[in-house]
Amino acid sequence: MPEAPLLTSIRKASPDDSSTGDTAIRVDKLNHYYGEGELRKQVLFENNLEVARGEIVIMTGPSGSGKTTLLTLIGALRTVQEGGLEVMGNQLRGAALAKLVRVRRKLGFIFQAHNLFQSLTAFQNVRMAAELFGFPAERTSRRITELLTLLGLGHRIHYKPDSLSGGQKQRVAIARALVHQPPIILADEPTAALDEKSGRDVVTLFQRFTREDRCTIIMVTHDNRILDVADRIVNMVDGRIKSNVLVKVTAEICEFLRHVPLFQRLTPGSITEVADKVKSEKHKAGAAIVTQGDEGDKFYLIRRGAVDVTRTEGTQSAPLNSLGEGAFFGEAALLTGEPRNATVIAREDTEVYTLNKEDFQAVVAASASFEEELRKALFQRH
Amino acid sequence: MIRLSKTPLAFKNLTHNVRRLAVAVAGIGFAVVLMFMQMGFRNALFYSTVKIVTDIDADILLINRAQYALPARQSFDFKRIMQARSCPGVAAVYPMYTETVGTEWKPASGGKPYSIRVIAFDPDDPVFLIPEVRAQTSVLRQPDTALIDSRSKKQYGIPETLKLLREQTGAELANRAIHLAGTFPLGTDFANDGNLMMGSANLAKYFPMRALGADPLSTVDLGIVKVEKGTDVSAVQRNLNHRFEGTELSVYLKSELIDKEIGFWDHSTPIGYIFSVGTIMGFVVGVIICYQIIYSDIADHMPEFATLKAMGYRNRFFIGLVLQMSFYLSIVGYIPGLLVSWAVYLALAQGTGLLLEMKLAHAALVFVLTLGMCTASGCMAMRKILNADPAELF
Ligand SMILES: Nc1ncnc2c1ncn2[C@@H]1O[C@H](COP(=O)(O)OP(=O)(O)O)[C@@H](O)[C@H]1O
Ligand SMILES: [Mg+2]
Repeated sequence: MPEAPLLTSIRKASPDDSSTGDTAIRVDKLNHYYGEGELRKQVLFENNLEVARGEIVIMTGPSGSGKTTLLTLIGALRTVQEGGLEVMGNQLRGAALAKLVRVRRKLGFIFQAHNLFQSLTAFQNVRMAAELFGFPAERTSRRITELLTLLGLGHRIHYKPDSLSGGQKQRVAIARALVHQPPIILADEPTAALDEKSGRDVVTLFQRFTREDRCTIIMVTHDNRILDVADRIVNMVDGRIKSNVLVKVTAEICEFLRHVPLFQRLTPGSITEVADKVKSEKHKAGAAIVTQGDEGDKFYLIRRGAVDVTRTEGTQSAPLNSLGEGAFFGEAALLTGEPRNATVIAREDTEVYTLNKEDFQAVVAASASFEEELRKALFQRH
Repeated sequence: MIRLSKTPLAFKNLTHNVRRLAVAVAGIGFAVVLMFMQMGFRNALFYSTVKIVTDIDADILLINRAQYALPARQSFDFKRIMQARSCPGVAAVYPMYTETVGTEWKPASGGKPYSIRVIAFDPDDPVFLIPEVRAQTSVLRQPDTALIDSRSKKQYGIPETLKLLREQTGAELANRAIHLAGTFPLGTDFANDGNLMMGSANLAKYFPMRALGADPLSTVDLGIVKVEKGTDVSAVQRNLNHRFEGTELSVYLKSELIDKEIGFWDHSTPIGYIFSVGTIMGFVVGVIICYQIIYSDIADHMPEFATLKAMGYRNRFFIGLVLQMSFYLSIVGYIPGLLVSWAVYLALAQGTGLLLEMKLAHAALVFVLTLGMCTASGCMAMRKILNADPAELF
C-alpha cells in the first residue's frame, strides 16, 4: 500500500525536470585544479560518475581526497575547468554565472555549518529558501511547518537560532535545504552534529524524499550508522573515485551467490568481493552467449532463465546439456586456456552474471575451497 | 492565489543587534546633527543679516551702489527720494535711516556702553512689516523716545517686562537720556548686536552731525518704494533704473536685494565656505561611520550570504539588500538627528537670538545628504558582499 505523502507539495513537476530522463548527474572525465602557475595543483583526476534520479549516494574517503571539491562542482558553486559535468540535464562546463545560478535553484545544500541568520526565526530562515520561487504562500507555510515538525522542531518553529541547540540549528538548515523540493540534495556531513536518533530521522526523511519526489541525494559522510541508506557508495582517494558500488545490486548479487552451491563455502568477505566484480548481462531467447571455438574471456553464472549447451564435432551438432538458474558455464576455457569447447544459446530470455578472466582467476587463486568446488563440479559434469 | 512575500532581511538584520543599532543611530545621528548645525548656522547668519530687509514692506529698494553689503553703510541724498517719487508707477517712496557711528548705548542698569544700531523713519510711513512696530508708531512720534529690539544681546540690559522697561530711567543713547517705550523683535547679525528704532525727528536730534553742515535727514540710507496697485513691479523697476542711470543709486527688487546680500556673505567672505566645509565634514564623518556599520554587518553575515548565493540568490538581490540597509540606516539616523537638531536650534535661538529655524527645504536637503551618505557607504561596502563565495562553505 503506498504511503500517504509526507509533506505538502509546492512544486509542480517542471517539464525541464522530466525531460532530463533518469540521469540526475553525469560526471565525465572531470579534472580540477587549485592555484595558478607554479602553485597549480591537480586535486581531481579523470573522474567519471553517473547518478540516477532517486539515488542516495554516500561519498566517503580520507580528508583531502577531493570530496568537497567534487560536491561544489556538482553544486554549480565552482567553475568546471576540464571535463564534462551535467546536472539535471544542464551542462555546467563553460556555463555562465546566470546558468550556474539557475542550476543552484534546483539544488538543496546542507553545509557542515548551519549558517542561519540570527535575526530570523527557524521558520523565516527556511522560508528564505522558498522565496526565490514565487510559491503559493499558504501551502509553503504549511510545508515549512510540516518539515520542521517532522524534524522534531514543532515546538521551536518561531524561535531564533540563539535559543536553539546545535543539533536543532542543523535540523533547521536541513529543512531549509528541503523546503523547495529540490531534485538534488548535496550534503557535507549532514548528521555530524546530530545525535543517533535525529541522525536516523534525517536519513529516513531523505529516503522518503527520494521515494516521493525522485530526489537525488549526494552525501559526504563518515557516519557508519547511516551507510545502510545508500544506494551507491563512492569512495574517493587522492582525487580519484576508487570504487563506485551500487550497494543494492551488490547485496542482491551476494544474496544470490550465497545460495549457489559453487560459492557456498566461500567466506562472506570473498562473496562480497565477487559480487563487487560481477557484471550483469541480458540475453534474448535464441541468442548465442558463448560460441564454440572462440577464445574464453568470461565466466558465466545464470541469474535467471535457461540455456542449451551444444557441441559441434565435424558437421555433427549434438545437444550436450541444459542449464538453469544457479548453474555456471564458461569456466573450462578459462582454466585450461583452450578455445571454447561448446556453444551456449539462451533458451528463454536469460540474465547472467559474468566475471572476466582476471577476476575469475583471482577468485580461484584466493580460495582453495572455491577451486576444489569448481573441480568437483566439473568432474561431475563430464 | 497569494504568492510568497519576501522576508525583510535587511531590516531584520539591522534591528537584530540592538547595541550595533544604537551605535549606528548615534553615529549617523551625529553626522546629521553636524550637517544641520553647519547649515543652520550658515543660514541663520545669512537670514539675520537680511532680516531687516525681509521685515521691510517694500516692492523695490534704492541703495547706494557702493554699499556692497548692508553693514558697509553708504548713504545718498534725499533728493533721490523726491526724484523716485516722480517716476511713473511709483505710489510712494519712504526714506529710511540707519546710524551705527557714535551710537553708544548705556543701559539703565548701568555698566559699559555698547554700540547699537539705530533705525529711523518717519512714523507716518508704513515702513516695516513687523506688527509690533506698526502698533507703536504713535510712540515713535514722542520726543526722546525709542523702541528697543527685544532680541538684542544681554549686555543691552533689556528688563524682563514691558512695565519695568517703561519705568526705568537712566538709559542713554549717544550720551543723551532716552526713554524706552516698548520693544520690537528683529534680531542680531554679523555686525549688530542690538537695535533701536526711533522716529526720524528724534534721529535728527540725537545725531545732528550725521550730514556735515547739513540737515541730518538729508542723507538717506535706504529708499523704500511702493508701486501703484496693479502695476508691474519690474516695469517700475525699469523706470527707476532708467531714471537713476549713471547716478550712485542701485534699484533692486526686495528679493533681489536679499539674494545679493546673502550672495555677498556666501561668496565674498569665507563664511559660506567655512560652513560648506563643515557640512562636507559632517557628510564624510557620516560616510565613514555608516561604512563601518554596513561593512561589519556584512562581514558578520558572510557565510549566511554565501549560503543565499548557493540557494540561487542573484547579485541583484544583494545589491538591493545593501541599498535597503543604507536606506534604513539613513532613516533611523536621520529622525533622531533631526529631532536633536531641532531642539538645539530652538535652544540656541532662545539663547542667542540667532535665526535658527528648521525649514522644510533644509530638512529635505539634509535628508538627501544623509541618504547619499548611507548609499555611498553601502556602495563602498558592496564589493564585500558580492565577493561572498558559496564554494567556500563546505
Ligand atoms: N580553495 C582551495 N584552494 C586550494 N586548495 C584547496 C582548496 N580547497 C581544497 N583544496 C585542496 O584540494 C584537495 C581536496 O580538498 P577537498 O575537496 O576539500 O577534500 P575533502 O573534502 O575530501 O577533504 C586538498 O588537498 C585540499 O588541500
Ligand atoms: Mg571536505
